[in-house]
Amino acid sequence: MSRNARCPGSLDELWPLLEEGVTIMAGGTDLLVRRRGQVPAPVACLERIESLRGVRVHEGFISLGACETHASLLRHALVRERLPVLAGALQVLGSPLIRNMGTIGGNIVSASPAGDTLAPLYALDAQLELVSKWGARRVPLAGFIHGPGRTGLKPGEVLAAVLVPPPEPSALQHFEKVGRRKALAIAVVSLAAVILTDGEGVVLDARLALGSVGPTVARCPKAEALLAGRRLDREALLAVGEAMRSEIAPIDDLRASAAYRREVAGNLLLRLAS
Amino acid sequence: MSGKIVPTFTLAFTLNGGPVRVETSPGRRVLDLLREDLGLTAAKEGCGSGECGACAILVDGAAKLSCLMLAVQLEGREVVTAEGLGTAENPHPIQAAFVENGAVQCGYCTPGMTIATAEFLAHTPDPDRGQVREAISGNLCRCTGYVKIVDAVLAAAKAAPGESS
Amino acid sequence: MKPSSPNQPDFSFRHADTLSKAVGAERYSTDFTPPGCLWAGAKRAGVPHARITAVHVGEALAVDGVKTVLTGADVPGSNLQGIVHKDQPVLAVDTVRHAGDAVALVLAESREALAEALSRIRLEYEPLPGVFEPELALAAEAPLVHPGREGGNLLARGLVDKGDARAAMRGCDVVVEGEFETPMQEHVFLEPPNGTARLTATNGLETVVSTQAPFRDRFEIAHALGLDPMRIRVRAPYLGGGFGGKDGATVQCLLALAALHAGGRWVKMVWSREETFLAGYKRHAARVRIRLGASSSGALQALDSVMYFDSGPYAHLGVEIMALGLEHAGGPYMIPHTRAEGFCVYTNNPVGGAFRGFGVVQASFALERSLDALAARLGMDPAELRLMNALRTGEANCAGVAMESPTGVRECLEAVMAHPVWAGRHTWKEAAPPFKRRGVGIAASCNAMGYGRGLPDAAAAKLELTRTGTFRIFNSVADMGQGNAAAFVQLAASALNQDSSLFEVVQPDTRLCPPAGSSSASRTTYTFGNALLRACEAMREKLKARAALALLVDEPSRLRLAPGVVADEATGRSIPLALLGNMLQRDDRICVDQYVMPVVENPPDTGKAFRLGFPHRFFSHGACVCALEADELTGQVELVECVTAVECGRVLSARGVEQQVHGAAAQGAGLVLMENLAHQDGRILAGDLSTYLIPTSRDLPDLEWLAVDGDEPTGPHGVKGMGEVGIHGPAPAVAQALEDAVGLSINRIPVDPMDVLRALRSNKA
Ligand SMILES: Cc1cc2nc3c(=O)[nH]c(=O)nc-3n(C[C@H](O)[C@H](O)[C@H](O)COP(=O)(O)OP(=O)(O)OC[C@H]3O[C@@H](n4cnc5c(N)ncnc54)[C@H](O)[C@@H]3O)c2cc1C
Ligand code: FES
Ligand code: FES
Repeated sequence: MSRNARCPGSLDELWPLLEEGVTIMAGGTDLLVRRRGQVPAPVACLERIESLRGVRVHEGFISLGACETHASLLRHALVRERLPVLAGALQVLGSPLIRNMGTIGGNIVSASPAGDTLAPLYALDAQLELVSKWGARRVPLAGFIHGPGRTGLKPGEVLAAVLVPPPEPSALQHFEKVGRRKALAIAVVSLAAVILTDGEGVVLDARLALGSVGPTVARCPKAEALLAGRRLDREALLAVGEAMRSEIAPIDDLRASAAYRREVAGNLLLRLAS
Repeated sequence: MSGKIVPTFTLAFTLNGGPVRVETSPGRRVLDLLREDLGLTAAKEGCGSGECGACAILVDGAAKLSCLMLAVQLEGREVVTAEGLGTAENPHPIQAAFVENGAVQCGYCTPGMTIATAEFLAHTPDPDRGQVREAISGNLCRCTGYVKIVDAVLAAAKAAPGESS
Repeated sequence: MKPSSPNQPDFSFRHADTLSKAVGAERYSTDFTPPGCLWAGAKRAGVPHARITAVHVGEALAVDGVKTVLTGADVPGSNLQGIVHKDQPVLAVDTVRHAGDAVALVLAESREALAEALSRIRLEYEPLPGVFEPELALAAEAPLVHPGREGGNLLARGLVDKGDARAAMRGCDVVVEGEFETPMQEHVFLEPPNGTARLTATNGLETVVSTQAPFRDRFEIAHALGLDPMRIRVRAPYLGGGFGGKDGATVQCLLALAALHAGGRWVKMVWSREETFLAGYKRHAARVRIRLGASSSGALQALDSVMYFDSGPYAHLGVEIMALGLEHAGGPYMIPHTRAEGFCVYTNNPVGGAFRGFGVVQASFALERSLDALAARLGMDPAELRLMNALRTGEANCAGVAMESPTGVRECLEAVMAHPVWAGRHTWKEAAPPFKRRGVGIAASCNAMGYGRGLPDAAAAKLELTRTGTFRIFNSVADMGQGNAAAFVQLAASALNQDSSLFEVVQPDTRLCPPAGSSSASRTTYTFGNALLRACEAMREKLKARAALALLVDEPSRLRLAPGVVADEATGRSIPLALLGNMLQRDDRICVDQYVMPVVENPPDTGKAFRLGFPHRFFSHGACVCALEADELTGQVELVECVTAVECGRVLSARGVEQQVHGAAAQGAGLVLMENLAHQDGRILAGDLSTYLIPTSRDLPDLEWLAVDGDEPTGPHGVKGMGEVGIHGPAPAVAQALEDAVGLSINRIPVDPMDVLRALRSNKA
């Protein structure tokens, strides 16, 4: 009889377990909560697989190991200094205890539209490195997530790393999460913005992503185009906010109404008004 | 039908400074392992789903939720529960500060709070109130309104400057 | 605060229990898991109203490790629970009346087998139409929660009045009216309901339970299961919180039933957090309609209010809680003509029960909001309006009871008004940062202490001198975290002039301790404290008399207790307590005495529907100022300051009062800012801690407490209860502050950020 939980020390030890059909567990903060009260099925913990960890610059990307915890990423200078929009999200994800356990890989594969790292990673145009015993492939994050809890992860595959093209150092990076309380809150709306301006404050490039306003995180191409060439003044941001409202499909749930989400989604950018 | 015989293994780790070997199921919740198999009841269950922090323990110095951990994850690790921080005769400065500052009412959240505090002060020896509030924001308390807990954490920081657990 | 005189107890340092809790050594009920115990768990209905057509337990019984599965037919005795009115089955028989009703009870060898078996019980129902709204439940054609019951869904109607409110209303210069709603609230004590039980070799039943009322539990269990209450032993270790939610049966009867089938083995039952949401008691949701009239000067003249309390399908303390609501309809104010009518109604919602400040929270929100409306109409400062109408000692409250005991509401209001948060509010508001609107609000409150007339609010205290010369206090009132056990040590230590380290406390145990009422209604320290002081008095006289024998003193009154000894100052001789302890036989080393809280002597001729719990004689008072910031972009509201002044008699333990006020204010803040069970058609949608949100450390400011020293001549060292009054301030104060900040007038809580955004939009337009 096989053990109901294991901690393989390497990917090579993991592959045969995946073939047995075990479920992957990283921090367990999503998986074990979802499984509460159910008959336990076998899991394989990734936490001892060194190759799934580490933060480094690689081929022009900042590579974030999928099993890095939110807390360890937050402590990393590359994340804090080069990716403040992501750091802003990590800072308000769950609680310190959740951040000590939950991983960025788990946040992505959970594929919740409220996953806090997702809006920043969408705005950063992140890619994913997926590995299996047959090899590796690289996919854009936005194409990988299909809907709530649904991803393009194939059987036998593991998310190994998140590859983030670092924005220009001068780019403005902004994150805001709206929850019903200040810690341990699932986002009702979140906004991630990466905005590059010229020396005069005119927007050269804007990347805007909204969380919790549809089945997946939403990039807002119309709004991004509208912002290009303008300054971050109140008038421009009001117009861009209105465009953002038209690019999302929020729903009513326990935490907030669709109307509220839509309203706030268009308001949040105003925080940047100069 | 179920009730299958769950395979066990010998789990070896360090618990509150001493070596432990225990026969258990690798998938057993760490919280149950500690409370029921090892008799250490300082870690409490308030929710079983990561929302309250009452079950917090230190694993290799990081505060974690034992309700969301499996026994197998402890293999070779160094685990500290509130019992391992200090005792009634010889309380840890954090525990003493909680008592002296009136931060303990029903006390059910306290062991988890002190564990979160222990990790926090090890990294942030001289915090301000806002940082303390952030540091304990994963530990719910329904009795105190948190003011005295924040006082206690600040007092503990003063009492043991730079000291880590 | 006045300095303590030398003979006053020193409450400054509460050590006994808090240290053992802090180091994780204290054993709560849930920490007691006897090796090899069985696990019990209930299958819950899951539907709010239905006829049970079948309970299929076969598959559950087939799970390895399952001992037995019991249903309603297996319950001996009345199968009915309830504190005053017995109407709640232990296991549902033909009908389920709310989604949390227990339908079957499983006994298994392990938690895993228990969970598996519970998931394999299949319930077949014939759905019944439900009632989920008290006023609709009173309609003639409404489905009945208890068919055949006289009175239908109306559990009780009550009227509390004074003067002629309706006539007086016609003569008022201004009248405001409104309708207000307060929601159900979940206690969220961190330790879920749980306990262990077994049959003893002599066929007694022994239990350890997280309970606020161990003595009453014996009778609950005995009545429901047809047992002899005197053969039931209940122990109540320190509770991991209670707040009212562990007053009344949670696990007790189910656990006892399981023990009857466990062949003498220990059985353990622990509710999960989700089960606690589903099956546990809630603060009663209420709707209050008010008309409030005043003269043009602002003097209150008349109050006419109607309250509807949602009891859920069982009475619990609903009637008594409604009585408190009506009794507090007029708050801490002088209103010559008042009329408060109440309806407590059965529905298929979760069961209403006791929760800190019960009845009063509901009444107080409605009244305070109405005062705000009145102040606005009169163009008066809301604080001044409250101050000018504050009830004085000697005046009659809205139940017509003259306040003989000092009332401190004026002092509380003055204290918070002098605080910079109120006094400096204009400057503070103007300094609001971009995208923020600021507002400040004020409210006052009062809260009765004790059970009220009709139900003796009694406690007996037992004190033992041990053979080694130390003392043992047999605490009869469960300590749910409020620190009463430690307070009792301080009271006794000072009464006997001994060091507090000489005292140990035996936690409530019905076999060892004499009976006392529940840990509730702000009564614990007052009632048991008085009983204990009497027992101490008896102990002192006894020790002197016995010492006199040894010291050959013919006037025992000349002897004095000094630390560790009984001393004869005249001769300088003394006898150590250890020697006395060793000399006396056990019976002689024990003193027991009791106390019953005095009641209103000439109750007014109103509130006749309430046989129990009306009216009250003693009240504590409070006032609260809240300052908040509302975000223009998100409508989020942040509580920035919350200052509460409380008058609860003498302040013996500043720390003790402060702790209670902080905790109460935090729960009041949660109620107004975020707590929402989101129940719909009898189902709770926010049924766990990820959806039902209570404040974290980041959601509350540094709550402040201002001491207002009073004196209650009948209280132990002048104290009154103070466990509840602090909960009433935040909801109305935040509501007023919100109106101040963004012009939003709310009549229901919690605040919805969408409403804040709407108000901002319409005020801009
Ligand atoms: C109390 C609480 C609060 C929370 N608050 C927040 C919050 O504020 N914001 C937020 O975004 N989330 C929150 N979460 C959800 C959760 O903590 C995060 O999504 C976390 O990042 C999940 O990571 P994990 O490592 O714990 O995932 P796990 O639970 O280990 O796994 C989640 C899923 O991902 C799969 N998986 C994990 N890693 C990999 C991998 N490398 N390759 C392939 N599949 C993988 C697993 O099989 C599983 O299906 C909260 C959870 C809790 C319990
Ligand atoms: S019990 Fe683990 S977080 Fe609540
Ligand atoms: S002291 Fe009771 S929950 Fe914190």
